[in-house]
Amino acid sequence: MSLVTLRVNGEDVRADIPPRTHLADFLREHRLLTGTHLGCEHGVCGACTLLIEGAPARSCIAYAAACDGASVTTIEGLEHDPVMEALRAAFTAEHALQCGYCTPGMLVTARDIVLRLPDADADRIRLELAGNLCRCTGYAGIVRAIQRVLREGVPAVPRTLTRLAPLGTLSRDEGEGLSPPPSPSPASREREGPVAVGDGRVRANEVRAGGNTELTQTLRLSLPPDQVWAALQDPALIASCIPGAAIASVQDGRIEGTMEAALGPMRARFAGAATVRYGTDRTGTIEGEGQDRASATRLSGSARFAVLPDGASGSVLEIVLAYILRGPLAQFARGAVVQDFAAEIAYLFARNLEARMQGRAAAPAASLGLFALLWRVLRRRLARLLGREP
Amino acid sequence: MKPVAFDIAAPASLAEAAALLAQPGAMAMAGGQSLGPMLNLRLARPELIVRLNAIPGLAGVAEDADAVTIGALVTHAAIADGRAPDPGMGVLARAAEGIAYRAVRNRGTIGGSLCHADPAADWPTVLTALGASVLTSSGRRIAMTDFIAGAFRTVLARGELVASVRIPRLPADAGWGYAKACRKPGEFAHAMAAALTDGARTRLVIGATGGKPVLLHDADATEQGARDAALAAGLDPVAAHIQSVMARRALQQASEGARA
Repeated sequence: MSLVTLRVNGEDVRADIPPRTHLADFLREHRLLTGTHLGCEHGVCGACTLLIEGAPARSCIAYAAACDGASVTTIEGLEHDPVMEALRAAFTAEHALQCGYCTPGMLVTARDIVLRLPDADADRIRLELAGNLCRCTGYAGIVRAIQRVLREGVPAVPRTLTRLAPLGTLSRDEGEGLSPPPSPSPASREREGPVAVGDGRVRANEVRAGGNTELTQTLRLSLPPDQVWAALQDPALIASCIPGAAIASVQDGRIEGTMEAALGPMRARFAGAATVRYGTDRTGTIEGEGQDRASATRLSGSARFAVLPDGASGSVLEIVLAYILRGPLAQFARGAVVQDFAAEIAYLFARNLEARMQGRAAAPAASLGLFALLWRVLRRRLARLLGREP
Repeated sequence: MKPVAFDIAAPASLAEAAALLAQPGAMAMAGGQSLGPMLNLRLARPELIVRLNAIPGLAGVAEDADAVTIGALVTHAAIADGRAPDPGMGVLARAAEGIAYRAVRNRGTIGGSLCHADPAADWPTVLTALGASVLTSSGRRIAMTDFIAGAFRTVLARGELVASVRIPRLPADAGWGYAKACRKPGEFAHAMAAALTDGARTRLVIGATGGKPVLLHDADATEQGARDAALAAGLDPVAAHIQSVMARRALQQASEGARA
């Protein structure tokens, strides 16, 4: 719990709340100020826009405990604000709302537009409204309402409500005399630690079709094709070579377990199952899907694999990965970012397979954490930029 | 959605923040405009949020003959409104006013954006093109070209924070260009380019590639160079084409500015 002091609509408020409580929930649930609406709850739709220290802000991604000491003004607190009175009348006159869900956020943003941009034309108003979604009006009435207030004259508001505190001056020796950060964390040690880098060729060709991201990897193994193919007949062995995976069970070609991935501040733990099927001519497929329960992100995909001869005693393992990422994680882990990770996972899979078949243990899944993965991704990006195959 | 349960701490100094951030599961939060959505979607699952906005002295600015310095907690809105000193031609304000939406710019900070290192963010690309460097809480000065390690990754050690950003003043005869492609104003960019030229030498940076910003010099700082770099970074031909178009626009703005 966290003790928070806020000034809400001019009233001092103290509350002991869980730190994860965002400002909109705090206002709605604890103060019963339900004029602040919640739409997307991740900073996109603008329905929860209110004023923090007099400036518009998203209350769904501002945590009440992180705003400790701040002054907050909700739509209720602007009831008698002269600009808001003019805007309400204009919204009514211009039919600027239908269902009303977006309206509190629209009004707060509209108030900011008329105060900050007195010369705004229709195009500029639309640009400024880009962060507030309305699904009823098509925005036409909202734009007209804002234009009407600008045309008829914006009422004066006290300067205290327009917030323009000057920025302070940085001291000359900013940052000096501070203690150095703690010695390298386990994470950074892991990053710097030895990462087994084979000389397998990695080629990733991304093809997008129907939401699928597909990439091809060709990996050279210093083992004859028959031997590689024989080893691949064991689904348990395949499972143990998947980086980041923890296997719960393997039965009749069906693998159940989890696979962990991390990207910057993001974490995902996909729980699911995969099925291995074998075809003719040393080919096969692995199909699987999993869900990260915490974020409701779903990952589904397949890997087609083929073992081909390479020279006298070597072989080539060709893997065609196709995957679809759906849900919140897909918003942040865009295109090329995920592609690199998928390519990396396929690469590490082949290296683990080679190690297992040569009688060495695959690197344990835990040490194939994403720090190592990230490091390898960076190395490969660098190599590509320098025009070398890693 | 609601975030996972976490504790929150509000250190009063960078040293105190560094100690808190050394704990496992700790994450720093500046304006919280990128971390907030990740928390709500439960993509980020910290045990402790270390909020930095109670640390004094991080939201100021300074300038000297060679450069302007912007404190890490200066907001995009403050920069867009011209309340921070200008290294030349309003380059910072022009970039800042295109970041997300006003309500986000009012809270989001330049230092937070850099440390978050989203490949699609504006500051990593813009500040790399401007030859900026960051000053960290441990006294390190890191050039922007070295600062971003990859998607959502920087070279900061655990507990090390950005205190300020130093941006060299632009030469008097310089030209500047910045262009980005977004499906909707304020959305994540899917291509961007920034160009700085004095007529003889040119720096072109392409961003939103999925990794760190790519810096191209002089003969490589062309539309074709941007396309090649985008393809080398693993983008598909369509994405690489959009990158090259952004590069062309940025270079055109820059060369017109340099002639003027």
